[in-house]
Amino acid sequence: MNKLLLGRYVNGDSLVHRMDARSKLVLSFYFVAIIFLCNNWQTYLLLTAFVLMCVKFSDLGIGFFIKGVKPLLGLIVFTVLLQVFFTRGGHVYWSFGPLSLTHFGIVNGFYVFCRFVLIIFMSTLLTLTTAPLEISDAIESLLKPLKAIKVPVYEISLMLSIALRFVPTLMDETEKIMNAQRSRGVNFSEGTLMQRIKAVIPLLIPLFVSSFNRAEELATAMEARGYRGGEGRTKYRVQVWTKIDTIAVILFAIVTILLFILRKF
Amino acid sequence: MSSIIKIKNLTFSYSAEEERKTLDNVNLEIEAGQWVALIGHNGSGKSTLARCIDGLLMPESGSIEVDGLHLTEETVWDVRERIGMVFQNPDNQFVGADVEGDVAFGMENRGIPRSEMQKRVKEVLEAVDMTAFAKHEPVRLSGGQKQRVAIAGVLAVRPKIIIFDESTSMLDPEGKRDIVGLMRRLNDEENFTIISITHDIDEASLADRVIVLNDGRVIDDDVPEKIFASGDLLTKIGLDLPYPEALKEELKEKGIDVPNEYLDEEGMVDWLCRSALKN
Amino acid sequence: MPIRVEKLSYSYQAGTPMEHKALEDVSLEITDGSYTAVIGHTGSGKSTLMQHLNGLLKPTEGFLEINGRQITPETQNKELGDLRKEVGFVFQFPEAQLFEETVKKDIAFAPKNFGKSDEEAEAIAVRMAKMVDLPDEVLDKSPFELSGGQMRRVAIAGILAMEPKILVLDEPTAGLDPMGRLEMMRLFSRLHKNGMTIILVTHQMNDVADYADHALVLEHGRLIADTTPKALFSKPEWLREHHLDLPQTTKFAEKLMASGMKFDSLPLTKKELAQILADRIKGGSADE
Repeated sequence: MNKLLLGRYVNGDSLVHRMDARSKLVLSFYFVAIIFLCNNWQTYLLLTAFVLMCVKFSDLGIGFFIKGVKPLLGLIVFTVLLQVFFTRGGHVYWSFGPLSLTHFGIVNGFYVFCRFVLIIFMSTLLTLTTAPLEISDAIESLLKPLKAIKVPVYEISLMLSIALRFVPTLMDETEKIMNAQRSRGVNFSEGTLMQRIKAVIPLLIPLFVSSFNRAEELATAMEARGYRGGEGRTKYRVQVWTKIDTIAVILFAIVTILLFILRKF
Repeated sequence: MSSIIKIKNLTFSYSAEEERKTLDNVNLEIEAGQWVALIGHNGSGKSTLARCIDGLLMPESGSIEVDGLHLTEETVWDVRERIGMVFQNPDNQFVGADVEGDVAFGMENRGIPRSEMQKRVKEVLEAVDMTAFAKHEPVRLSGGQKQRVAIAGVLAVRPKIIIFDESTSMLDPEGKRDIVGLMRRLNDEENFTIISITHDIDEASLADRVIVLNDGRVIDDDVPEKIFASGDLLTKIGLDLPYPEALKEELKEKGIDVPNEYLDEEGMVDWLCRSALKN
Repeated sequence: MPIRVEKLSYSYQAGTPMEHKALEDVSLEITDGSYTAVIGHTGSGKSTLMQHLNGLLKPTEGFLEINGRQITPETQNKELGDLRKEVGFVFQFPEAQLFEETVKKDIAFAPKNFGKSDEEAEAIAVRMAKMVDLPDEVLDKSPFELSGGQMRRVAIAGILAMEPKILVLDEPTAGLDPMGRLEMMRLFSRLHKNGMTIILVTHQMNDVADYADHALVLEHGRLIADTTPKALFSKPEWLREHHLDLPQTTKFAEKLMASGMKFDSLPLTKKELAQILADRIKGGSADE
């Protein structure tokens, strides 16, 4: 669980690391959009090359990205097979009932596979090079316009950042309580479904109690430190748009233009 | 010297049904620049008193004045400007995602401009010797280091009074020594008024003045020498004696005539050497 | 031989690039009915070692033997469960494990898990509550209504309820006030006198001096001392070298020595020192 949530961010000082989290966030979403412009092997080749270039700029081994694909492999294989066997058109190599293996099917399956892997690579790039907190800051910054319609953007972001800050603390706590209950004869990993559900109670109650205590103490400490809501607060951490971000945006623009050209082939 | 904190007839209880008040008619004046140790067993009301002074709890009756300000709902934020608090659990007061961010939290709340924040963060991290850890997340810090960060956060907003609410009780001996040393420096060199709530007698013995709280009442209030000399009082309410005094009690039981006045470590060594070597 | 640890090593996340060796080549023995103090800084491997004792962790290399049961890297997790009945483990801030509606039920939780009937388990709970000096009237209260000190007693009673032969205590007095601390230490002392093997993880050198008869010191995952408290505290320089404290009495005796007093060996406890001093003051000129 630990690795799933937090182990993703890898500290570094690469070009991608130094980008503004806002531009990384927006450009990642933008990438997901433009990948649907691809319609032939030239366009997929272009985006593959582009993604590999981004990976290169992150100074992170390709292994990290392949690891990102692994948990989704099942889903990818399933979708690809669906495409392969249900798409019709072109030369028919084999068919059985509703299933058929056609030229278009194979090509489409391959494209879907590429699309998946590229999107995963790109989003992995975001999470590997951006600390969770930066992402939460970026979300706050991007949501700012919503303040006009009375959305408590500031509070949401503080909640998010405190939640992130306490994840490791609560993980530790969970581990400790589990060990303590194991020592009292609780078995978390064996038994019938009912037994397992029952085994969770001695874990959940102490965890709730301790979280509430923590929350109360934290609230007191925040109050003592002068916290009285988002109004009038200044921010220590700010996000700065740098040359790298401008360059990144330009690169994306060029890729988009090229895509439109290559689409016509 | 002028009193920076004046407490008159302070009474507080957590619920109306409770027979015994958590704080029962407490009267206190604390002078600016003083280091006051507030001692008592768990549940004696010492942390409640600290919370009342900072306006985190509103008293049932009585009045509190901090630096000339009468504490009310209206003045509570001004009072908090003057008081910094360091709590017991190092984890549950760490708000920021990393050291820098946590130190800045109090300043952000006060709307201090970013350039000034950056300057002060640097200053105070240096003051508590944590500069090298500026970018560290709390998981990568020891308890003592987290408490130092908490102190830095307090220093950054420049209060006059710092209240340590059992800030050393969850630390290992090294962390404890570390924080007590820092407290001493803040009092000596920076002239902060310090209130330390503790049941660590060695920490209390460093104070200028010791206030003993039992069942919500002040039962003694004097310089440490005087408090520790009246040994049975502390033992009776379940507190330790400083080592030389404890040893003295033990000798007394063995029928040795011991001096009545308080002896610190040096004094005790002196006296013992004279008495034991005279033969 | 109830506990024997043989060339035990343990690595967290073994076989990954994040591998971190927490224990290295630790061998030791703990005899029946002894009171062992385990000393070391945060991160020295104390907790990791203790977690082996009740089967929460398995060695990566080497083995341990507890009451004739061997635990090797190949031991199945199922077998580890049985160990937990014999070795009671009181974690740091054990009150965090409380969850039942009443104190009685919470204490009875472990015996029920280990196969006792409800009635048997409750009878044990009542007995254990008495053993840790909990007043009768709290038995039917919620554990969350109690004071911090009482909650800790409930938690400890909940471990004692398994009627273990060996009790591991991880800084059991942390956060208590002096009186609470003393009462707690006296309770363990009583259990020890009744024949229980006690293993105490602590930073409090006074407690090591006052109660233990065996001391283990860990540093960076290695066992660097396996001796008696007396022998351990007779080497103040060695302790300082390893950033470890001395008991207050020993520290004070050192000061007396610096002022010209002589001791055959450094005293460890206040009682011991007071006796020596009283004899001297009364006229026995022990100083040559």
